[in-house]
Parts: sequence; structure tokens; C-alpha cells
Amino acid sequence: MIATIFSPLSETFIQKALLGGSLVAIVCGVVGCLVVVRRMAFLGDALSHAMIAGVGAGYLFMKLVFGKEAHAPAMLLGSLIAAGITVGMIAFVSRVSRLKEDTVIGIMYCGVFAAGVVLVSVFRDHIHIDIVHFIMGDVLGVTDTDLWVAGIVGAAVLTVLTLFFRAFQFSSFDPVAARAAGIPVALVDITLTLCVSLVVVSAVSMVGVILVVGLLITPAATAYLLCDRLDRMMGLAALFGVTSVAGGLALAMALDSAGGGAIMCFCTAQFLAVLALAPRYGLLAGWRRRRNMIPQQLFEDILGSVLRGKPPVAAAVVASHVHLHRGRLARAIATMKSDGLLLESQEGLSLTDEGLLHARRLQRAHRLWETYLARVGVPEKELHEKAHVLEHVHEEEAVDYIDDLLGHPERDPHGADIPEDFVHVEGGAPVPASFLREGRRATVVSAPAATGLAVGQRIAMAPRRNEGRTWVAKREDGSEALLDHAAADAVMVQPDSESGLRPAVRPAK
Amino acid sequence: MITDARVPAIQVDNLTVSYGPRPALLDVSVAIEAGTLVGVIGPNGSGKSTLIKAILGFVKRDFGTVKIFGEPVEEARGRLAYVPQRGAVDWDYPVTVEEVAMMGRYGRIPWWSSPSAEDRRIVGESLDIVRMGDFRKRQIGQLSGGQQQRVFMARALAQGADILLLDEPFAGVDAATERALLEVLRQARSAGRTLVVVHHDLATAAETFDRLILLKQRMYGYGPPEAVMHEDLLTAVYEGRLRIFGKLAQPEAKR
Repeated sequence: MIATIFSPLSETFIQKALLGGSLVAIVCGVVGCLVVVRRMAFLGDALSHAMIAGVGAGYLFMKLVFGKEAHAPAMLLGSLIAAGITVGMIAFVSRVSRLKEDTVIGIMYCGVFAAGVVLVSVFRDHIHIDIVHFIMGDVLGVTDTDLWVAGIVGAAVLTVLTLFFRAFQFSSFDPVAARAAGIPVALVDITLTLCVSLVVVSAVSMVGVILVVGLLITPAATAYLLCDRLDRMMGLAALFGVTSVAGGLALAMALDSAGGGAIMCFCTAQFLAVLALAPRYGLLAGWRRRRNMIPQQLFEDILGSVLRGKPPVAAAVVASHVHLHRGRLARAIATMKSDGLLLESQEGLSLTDEGLLHARRLQRAHRLWETYLARVGVPEKELHEKAHVLEHVHEEEAVDYIDDLLGHPERDPHGADIPEDFVHVEGGAPVPASFLREGRRATVVSAPAATGLAVGQRIAMAPRRNEGRTWVAKREDGSEALLDHAAADAVMVQPDSESGLRPAVRPAK
Repeated sequence: MITDARVPAIQVDNLTVSYGPRPALLDVSVAIEAGTLVGVIGPNGSGKSTLIKAILGFVKRDFGTVKIFGEPVEEARGRLAYVPQRGAVDWDYPVTVEEVAMMGRYGRIPWWSSPSAEDRRIVGESLDIVRMGDFRKRQIGQLSGGQQQRVFMARALAQGADILLLDEPFAGVDAATERALLEVLRQARSAGRTLVVVHHDLATAAETFDRLILLKQRMYGYGPPEAVMHEDLLTAVYEGRLRIFGKLAQPEAKR
């Protein structure tokens, strides 16, 4: 059995196909990573097509001048020159015309490719190039020359990429900054184009013009879905290239199909499998992430119901507050536990410090919105329901605006305490004295003279008077400064931290 | 590096840059003193980013010179660091926070060797300064807008450049991050660095910067904010949109 599977490996042409294909695939994979991150895939396609003109011209030149048939170095050099001309024309036309680069690439490579086809067919008596072979490639007919070319090109390109990896990485990521940091970006770009041309030229004889782009970008794209670092992506892309060649050749043997086609089929199937299954950037992972995502509103309702229910709260109690399918609620609670917002014990759910912070912010938003709604004349029995919708508008700036508009109320219409603005008061920066609640101590940072407070003075807030419209700041000597809303806003103070949150407030009636 | 206090950190003389018939910058001259925090303001399309890129030597100058500490900009490679606009970065690029910061060192690491322990130490410090030390292994697309901006700031710091050029660092970051970033910029200035920052928010420009450059293709003003944030100048530059800025310019008018 095993012997039957491995028996083709004893065939020389298979060995050569495997060796040559792997060489090409490794270099293609590594260079392809730069092609993918630089979004140059179409340029790779153009370079491979432009080659035929160069190969034809090189062949013809050696044949007519020196009488040599199929001189490999001349054809290689011809390909590079054709690639250079194509790239130069693309750069020139996209700079001087209003056309976008992709269009110009399309125009130029078709033009050069067509010129090559015409050249080869006009001189068909002199040039013995099989255009079909050129387009489709022949991985099973790899010659020793092909192997040598692939080996030398591969070694040269890999050496350059390894030595100057940092320059390639920086200039492809952020060319302006790379230049500022002293990296010769233009030179790096030219080198990269040259490397891509070399790789394409060495790969065409094996997989053909059409498939070489696939070999360049598909393994690299497959690796891109799995990595967050360019160096690892290159390694993985080389590996995927080799598995494509090996798998593709096995497929070709099994189906008795064209080698190049089978390699690309395998390569694409490999990509699709990774696309589906990649742990972070795959489709399945994305679907699972979306499934586990909790809608913001549900998340906030759960926090709210745990806070209101005096923790620990049984999960069933939470379920009665948020009308939702059991399974989804359980998943939501599980996610919030792993996010460090909820704790679950045998008695039920309670809040972590982080969860408490979130919940208090929501509670503050809810009660401020209720106060606001009462102020604008919403009937009392509708207050809660409307505020329940509005509490999800809890962006800090919006809540602060409402708070200030209402004169920093201390109680909501039901008589429950509105949590203080701990985000700012405990935030470490100076705040207006109007933010301070009864019992807070602070140091005056700046104050208009009319307020009777001086910079550096220590104050403690006494209960507000005049239905909450007059703030009372007690100085250390026991004297009081009375401030209206505008004055309290004008006095900036540095509050003493009370080490995090104050204990829970009185529950609403 | 020896820096003579009298030689401007950046000296731009008669700079003209164009994309086609329309000039992006027209006869711009400015001398920026070392150790200042300079804001570049002006309406959309007024050439703010182009000025930064011209100082970096990244756009072709039609005419004019840029000198860095008295030397032609071409010879000042590595003395300038750049923080790109957020929109200009490929956030899917497979690169981690630490690698981005390390890029600041690339200009100094010889091509045959790896980053040294010293490079790693500097990168670590720079990330700590912007408080991104806990995110080293994160891919950059997985950060919030403010965090992303701080990573690029760390890269500029790691480069150890005398001059930092930042393109809209405060765009799309929240108020807290803006304050934190500003703190880092001020520290850099205190350390003697020169910072040129493209800024879009006129309301905060005066309190943020030591000097302002008011630009709309031409140079409309360079100097302390109170001199540049002048109603006449703002009217000339922002044309019909003065109503919005009337309020900003008033304090000047009263004086």
C-alpha cells in the first residue's frame, strides 16, 4: 500500500517537479507576502504576462546574433528587461495621465503581452517557443536548467529579503516615516519590483503565466489570515507553497491532470479551508464572535438588574427583568463573567468592582434622565419606562450636559440618590465645586474673588440649602462660603480621593 | 548632537510645491526655533500635510529650500521623525505594537545585525512613556484609535529624532487620550525637541501650541497664538465660515 503511494516518487520527472516546484513555491510565498501587504497583486500578474515579449526577444537576439538556440540566460535577461520596461511605462503613464494605476497596469501588460505573442508568431521559424506551454506551464517537464535558474534566483532573492527585511517591512508599512528615519525607500521599491520579476520569471516555466500570480499571492494570503507578524507570515507562506506543490502533484498523479492546474487547485482549496477555519480572521471564528456578542442594551440591563436587586441576585431574578431566551441570557452572563464584570457564586450573581463602576454610571444616567423627564413634564408613571430607554444614552459628555442643565440634582423624582459624578470627581483632575456632594473634601485650585474662597484653601462640603440650589463649602475654621450654581461651577477644586467608589446608594422606592 | 540655539531647527525658504497647475504651497517661508511646539492650522486642502511632507523631503519641491539645523534636508535623514495621519495607515498590516515602535530604530540598526539590547531598552521606554507597554504583542488593528496614535508616537520617540512631525494626531481620539498625547508632546518639547503638529481644531489650537502657522497655500501668519488667532487673518483664511470663529477671535478684538 505504502509502496504504491510513494512509488511515483522514484520517477525522476516527479522528483524534479517536486524539487523545482518547492523551490519556486518557497520564494513565491516569501515575496508574495510583500506583494500582498503592498497590494501589488495585479502588478505581479502584469510582470508575468510581459515576460513573453522578453523571452521571445532574448531568444531571437541570441539566435540571430550568435546562432544559439534557447539560450536560457539571454531569455532570463530579456524577461527582466521586458518587466522593467512594463513597470517603467506603468509608472510613467500613471504619473502623467489622469488614469488610475490599476487601469494603466491593465493597458500596459496586455500591450506588452500582445507584442510578445506577435513577435513569437512572426518569427516562428526562428523561435521555438510553445505559447501554450508558456501560458499553462509544464511542471512535470522541469529541466535541469529550470532547476538551476529556480535555485539561483531563489537563493539570491531570499538572501536580499532576509538581509534587508527591516527596510522592506518599514517602507511597505509607512513609506513617509521610513524615509524620515533614513531608509532609501525608492531603492527598496525598485529592489522589491526586481525581486518580484525574478521570481515570476523563474516560476513561469513551471506553472505558466496564468498560474504564477496564484502561486505568488495565494499562499501569502493564506498565511495572512493566520499571522500578525510579517516574518512569521513569510515562513508560513513558504510552507503553504510547498504543501500546495506536493498536494497538487499528488492530485495530478491521481487524476492524471495538468500539473500546474492541480497545484493551483490544491492551493486555492487550502486557502478556502483556512479562510473558513482560521482561529482569529476566519469566517467560522467571526460567526462565533458575533454569536457571543451581547447587544449593548442587554449588557446594561443585566448590570442594572444585578445592582438594583441587592447582590447576590439569582440568575432567575435577572431573567425576570430582561425578557429574553434562557440560552442567550446564559451566554451573555458567561461572557460578562469572563470580561470580569460579574461574579457568580451559589447564592447568585454579584458585581465586580469594574461591573459596579459600569452599573453606577448607568444608574446615574438613568436617574438623571428621570429627573430631566420630570422637569420637561413627562407624567410620573411614564418616567421609568422612558428613562429606561434613555439611560442607554450614557456617553459621559451627554450625561454631564444633562447634569449641569438640571443644576447637579442629588435626588431623582422618586427620591432616590443620584450617584455622584465619580468619573470626574475620582478622575484625578480638578473639577468644578458644583460636582461635589455632601461630605466631600477638596482643595481649592482656582476661585473668583467674589466667592470668598482662596487658592489652596481646604474645604468640606456641607448639605446644600435652598432646595439644592445653594452649595455650602465649609472652610477649616468652620466658616461657610455660600455658592450658587454659577459660582460653584466657577470654583475649581482638587477633590480628595475616597479610594474608588462609595458604597451603594439608597435604593429607589 | 550639537545644536546651536541660534540656528533654527527648521528653516523653510520660498517653498513652492505643486500638484499640477494649482500650487499646494506657494512661497512659504518660516523659521521654527528649536524646542518649540508648533501647530499648523488652516482649512481643508490648505497644504498642511504637504508642508510636513516637504519638510520631510518626501514631496518634490518646485522651488525653495528646507534646512534642518542649517543643513539641507537631504543630509538630515534620521533627524526627523514622522507620525502619519490615521487614515494613511494600513491597520490590517501584520505587524505588532512592539515592531512598529522598533521601526523607529531601523534607521540606526546596520543591515547586517539585529536590534541590540539598547534598541530594545529604548523601545520599551518609549512604549512606557505613552503607556502602551502592556500591549506589545498586539496587532495594531486591534487597538483603539487613541492607542494606535500612541504607538506611532512611541515610534517617533524611539527614533530619538530632534524634530517630530505629526499629521493630525488628535483626529478621532477621545478627550482623555488627547490630553495624554499632549502631555507626551510637552515632555518631548521640554527635552529640547521641536514638534510640528498639523491640527484641525481651531478651538483648542491657542491653548495647545507655543506657535501657530496659519496656512492656506500661502503663509498667512506665524507666531504666538494671540498674534495668529486674529480675526482679520482668520477671516482671510477661512472666508465665509467666519461666523463660527467670530467667538474665538473676540478676546483678541477686546484687547
